[in-house]
Amino acid sequence: MTDQTLSSASPAIVKPKLSRDDYVMRAFVLVIGLWLVVTLLMPLYAMLSKSVQDKDGLYIGLTNYIEYFSTPALFYSINNSFFIAFLTTAITISLASVFAFILSRSTIPGKGIFKSIALLPLLAPSLLPGISFVYLFGRQGVLKDLMGDYSIYGPIGIVMGEVFYTFPHALMILVAAFSIADARLYEAAEVLRSSRIRTFFTVTLPGIKYGLISAIFVVFTLVITDFGIPKVIGGQYNVLATDIYKQVIGQQNFQMGAVVSVVLLFPAILAFAVDRFVQRKQVAMLTARAVPYEPKPHTLLNRMFFLYCCIIAVMIVGTIGMAGYASFVTFWPYNLELSLNNYDFDVMDGGGWGSFYNSLELAAYTAVIGTSVIFTGAYMVEKAKGFGLIRGIIQFFCMIPMAVPGMVLGLAYIFFFNHPDNPLGFIYGTMPILVIVTITHFYTVSHLTSMTALKQMDPEFETVSASLKVPFFKTFLKVTVPVCLPAILDISIYLFVNAMTTVSAVIFLYSSDTALASIAALNMDDAGDVAPAAAMCMVIVATSATVRVFHALLSRGIAAKTQKWRKR
Amino acid sequence: MSGGLHFNRGRPCRISVSYSMKNNTDNEQDETYLQVRNVTKMFGTFAALKDISLDVNEGEFVCFLGPSGCGKTTLLRAIAGLDIQTHGKVFQGGREISDLPASERDFGIVFQSYALFPNLSVNDNVGYGLVNVGTSKADTHARVVELLSLVGLEDQGDKYPAQLSGGQQQRVALARALAMSPGLLLLDEPLSALDAKVRVHLRHEMKELQQRLGVTTVMVTHDQEEALTMADRIVVMNDGNIEQVGTPEEIYGSPASPFVAEFVGTMNFLKATKGENSQIMLGTHTLTLNDAEKAKLNGSSVLACVRPEDILVRGVDDSTANSFDTKVKNLEFLGSFCRATLVYGKDDTELQADFSINLVRDKGVEEGGNVRIALPANSIHIFSAG
Ligand SMILES: Nc1ncnc2c1ncn2[C@@H]1O[C@H](COP(=O)(O)OP(=O)(O)OP(=O)(O)O)[C@@H](O)[C@H]1O
Ligand SMILES: [Mg+2]
Repeated sequence: MTDQTLSSASPAIVKPKLSRDDYVMRAFVLVIGLWLVVTLLMPLYAMLSKSVQDKDGLYIGLTNYIEYFSTPALFYSINNSFFIAFLTTAITISLASVFAFILSRSTIPGKGIFKSIALLPLLAPSLLPGISFVYLFGRQGVLKDLMGDYSIYGPIGIVMGEVFYTFPHALMILVAAFSIADARLYEAAEVLRSSRIRTFFTVTLPGIKYGLISAIFVVFTLVITDFGIPKVIGGQYNVLATDIYKQVIGQQNFQMGAVVSVVLLFPAILAFAVDRFVQRKQVAMLTARAVPYEPKPHTLLNRMFFLYCCIIAVMIVGTIGMAGYASFVTFWPYNLELSLNNYDFDVMDGGGWGSFYNSLELAAYTAVIGTSVIFTGAYMVEKAKGFGLIRGIIQFFCMIPMAVPGMVLGLAYIFFFNHPDNPLGFIYGTMPILVIVTITHFYTVSHLTSMTALKQMDPEFETVSASLKVPFFKTFLKVTVPVCLPAILDISIYLFVNAMTTVSAVIFLYSSDTALASIAALNMDDAGDVAPAAAMCMVIVATSATVRVFHALLSRGIAAKTQKWRKR
Repeated sequence: MSGGLHFNRGRPCRISVSYSMKNNTDNEQDETYLQVRNVTKMFGTFAALKDISLDVNEGEFVCFLGPSGCGKTTLLRAIAGLDIQTHGKVFQGGREISDLPASERDFGIVFQSYALFPNLSVNDNVGYGLVNVGTSKADTHARVVELLSLVGLEDQGDKYPAQLSGGQQQRVALARALAMSPGLLLLDEPLSALDAKVRVHLRHEMKELQQRLGVTTVMVTHDQEEALTMADRIVVMNDGNIEQVGTPEEIYGSPASPFVAEFVGTMNFLKATKGENSQIMLGTHTLTLNDAEKAKLNGSSVLACVRPEDILVRGVDDSTANSFDTKVKNLEFLGSFCRATLVYGKDDTELQADFSINLVRDKGVEEGGNVRIALPANSIHIFSAG
């Protein structure tokens, strides 16, 4: 055939024409990429460059770093930070693994309640345990005798607070790890009459290996980047996160703040990278045929397990309860009469009730805008055809926020948005910048949740729509969003609660008009108004809890409404 | 009809119904509905399709058949515009569609997963595209009812996909694909997610529906039985190439290559050498060929291929052409027939033959016994060896 000879001479490469859908999707992909560049990369770049400049903005190479590492008062914080992080990680992981093991592998009663209690710390700002421990173990604390000669202000208090704060994070990962382990391995072990202890080491431990590693790095990162607890209860004990605050707020030394930020960025990025690597392996372990494990009762062990859970639950409830009680006490420890005096925020410095309303506003905007942006962005990046390189780069961008400590991000925003030449500078000191920084701070987890939900959708929905000449956005609204609604709700509640409780990302960015509840609590505590600070923390906890309950009801309602098409 | 292969041998099953009354008589000779010209698809440096050319007539049912990974889905997706080919052209209804996105082509598609929208009722799934083009509510409903009755699901419209059986879901997907009266229906292993019984039943139904509508259809399958029973023509693919295009009878009766011969049905491959007068020697036995096969003899050694069911025993005696003695090594009962492993020659070359139960009884065929068989000249296919 003449055709053949012609074609083999010069096979022209077919250049696919783009459909309108393709153009729209690519436009969205570019917008989301641009959003991440402006809200994440450019601020981080601004921060990095600030760390190699002098006060007048001239490039001075590594001079700031040399100064940092030749000032013992500064670089000693690295030691402190790592010491606290290692110790907390060891304690939290030990406590949480046993707790997770009991929740998923035993038959004790009240597991649901225990789990809910264990997750309570998620609803509180991280300074709450700090404040609570001051009341429990401080100079006028109820239990100060337990401390002997030691002071709660310092490493002991920090570690205790961090354990409280990180426990639920570790627990969630570990429970997930235990629950995907394959029951058939246990049955095999039982048939082989393996002792329980041997089963634990040969079957259980390898099964949760990846979850365990992941939990370790998550806890480590949370601790090393946390600011609230060391600020409230750290006393003279300096850590990296508080150093940034002191350099920036105390000494107005922005360059050194940038240097400390970069130093803090390193362990966070490293921990994050390891975690991502491990998570990728974990996915492969869950085979489609794994059979869930059905725990068998065991009386004596069960009693010990129950006792253990009770102790942990009492400690958690006690910590929150102490702050709650203290918030109602008129004047600790002299007038123990209960009153609402401490809730009269308007007569105190810090922003008053207005800060609480600001927080609500921030949380609502973050939840609504953040969920829309992040879920839509994930959809476009997942479904757009072609554009492979750009989509890959955006996927990578979406992972970065997880590795950036809130303080570092906040500081980076100052450098970027407060720069006189930045046309976006007008949002500095307003509510929008708080919303943007909060969305960016919590982008990664929300993005990953979106991706998980989207990956469970049949990849051919868009193809079928195209063959039926239905534009993709109709299918997005009519099918994708309704089917992903549970995940979307999860993302919005996650963003809401975190916006309510966050301190670190927003502490450099609020103005007198946009003071926030969590920051008000911090500032009141700073000013010595510890009881009102506790009261403000309790308001935050109550709000988060209410929203969570509301979310649970809503989810249940949706599940009931949609179960017709979800279940056979 | 016998065995598992339900197609009518010897009777042409080309369809002449033209879809949606298009007048196609002017240039019927050189104008086919779908033309694939020199299509190559590269994934990096790997060529999943190698210079494929193919014509599909209007109203025809064509199956792509081949082993896993041979490029069937890739070719289907190129035709649909889902993964556009690297080189080559595609024409549909006289229009070049080589570089058009899926949304600008004219086809309906059913996937192996069906991809039904889980949160929409059967009615809404089927009417999904109609609503979008601004069809009125009443018209949409009428069309949906019509489509559902076409696939026999008129009373299931208010259910959700998850409440239907696999076979019912498949039919909903089919109804949805047909809703916009596409010029081309594409099916990617539409039956493979179903269990065997349902599959056989739906095979029949789908074929009937396709004939009734006369819609040009391309179906991907790796199930030869499916292809042989449903297709007007089969495209056998292997490793990114087309091995043979032909009616089921042609594919089965005169495979163009050893690959096709082996992939479709069962085939004995017997080593033979070229003898005198365009005969071949099977060891010491001389076999005569028909004229078409004689023409294929080049080189001294060849492969003579015979299907097990073409081997004759009844009425075979020493004078029968192409006959020789064999020994029954093994006899396997397979329900309606027996598969015998026969051996012949000095080195006990093996040969499979299918015998009816009757024959086994009448002729007293038994393991260890002897039986004289004949390989009719018309049933022998010659391929060059190596
Ligand atoms: N996106 C892709 N990237 C790289 N290689 C691919 C891609 N899609 C398909 N291939 C390769 O192209 C070849 C043909 O794939 P195709 O899906 O067309 O096979 P198939 O004939 O449909 O097989 P099956 O019967 O298993 O569905 C395979 O070797 C496959 O690995
Ligand atoms: Mg395929």
